[in-house]
Amino acid sequence: MSLNIYGQNLDSRLLIGSALYPSPQIMKQAILASGSQVVTLSLKRQNPSEQAGQQIWRYLQDIVTQTNGYLLPNTAGCKTAAEAVTLAKMSREIFQTDWLKLEVIGDDYNLQPDPIELINAAEQLINAGFKVLPYCTDDLVLCQRLYDLGCQVIMPWASPIGTGKGLMNPYNLETIRLRLPEATLILDAGIGKPSDACLAMEMGYDGVLLNSAVALADNPVLMAEAFSQALQAGEQGYVAGIMEQRQTAHPSTPTLGTPFWHQS
Amino acid sequence: MNIHINGQAYPLAHETKITISSALTLYFIEPQQSTFAVALNGDFVSKEDYDRTFVKNGDSLDVLLPIQGG
Repeated sequence: MSLNIYGQNLDSRLLIGSALYPSPQIMKQAILASGSQVVTLSLKRQNPSEQAGQQIWRYLQDIVTQTNGYLLPNTAGCKTAAEAVTLAKMSREIFQTDWLKLEVIGDDYNLQPDPIELINAAEQLINAGFKVLPYCTDDLVLCQRLYDLGCQVIMPWASPIGTGKGLMNPYNLETIRLRLPEATLILDAGIGKPSDACLAMEMGYDGVLLNSAVALADNPVLMAEAFSQALQAGEQGYVAGIMEQRQTAHPSTPTLGTPFWHQS
Repeated sequence: MNIHINGQAYPLAHETKITISSALTLYFIEPQQSTFAVALNGDFVSKEDYDRTFVKNGDSLDVLLPIQGG
């Protein structure tokens, strides 16, 4: 069972970020341990005399080569559609990919995406040939509009970036899955623990994108493995068909032949 | 004239405009050794246009490099 992103089949349903790791070496080990074939990265102003950015870039190129994977540039830090469009074009030139994790932030406190600017940016970028993966809130109508614009992949948040609070509003997320059965849905941001990712997959989500939950773990490499297994468990549970919840208890053990002491 | 590259001022006493290629030599020791992309006053400029796009007094150049991200 593979994840399809704009026509590319991927063995892993986990997309992973490259930030916040204790070192570039641990970043590489953790990403490889996760099994992910999609790694997010960004563009920023940097002092060219400092080689840190170039070193990270070489590590990421190495990871993508080893995993036969893909880079997914983001537009982190953008607050308007115009900024996001410019940054997207710069990313496309450097990374030679049409894929774009579109972020347009509307509030500095909780880094909540701005739905108006997001729609505006998505429309411009799709017209410019980008394959847009928008990071958005768990608003059904917003997700519907993004899908109608041509975003084959939609990435609603679980909770604000970096909080690790998990799925704040499972009802909203389940409703998006129910109402957009054809969209590729990836839960992005706010994942804290493997069971959060498992829950998303049990809901029928197609994948999970996370960063902090692995990078900030005491042991990022072990946590990356844990997430890989959690996604597989959740996906298998969804495919296997989860039983209906019931309001009352039902005995699991057959009642026929119940021992004599129940006779009265 | 004065131009800004990544927010830093670069005063140029004798020029009234320079190409982006020339401006990049002010910023990088060896531009060809680096992976970067450029925006002039907030608009993307592709590499093939560096020699024919001019930076003028008051213009602002953004030179962005790859970095880790989530």
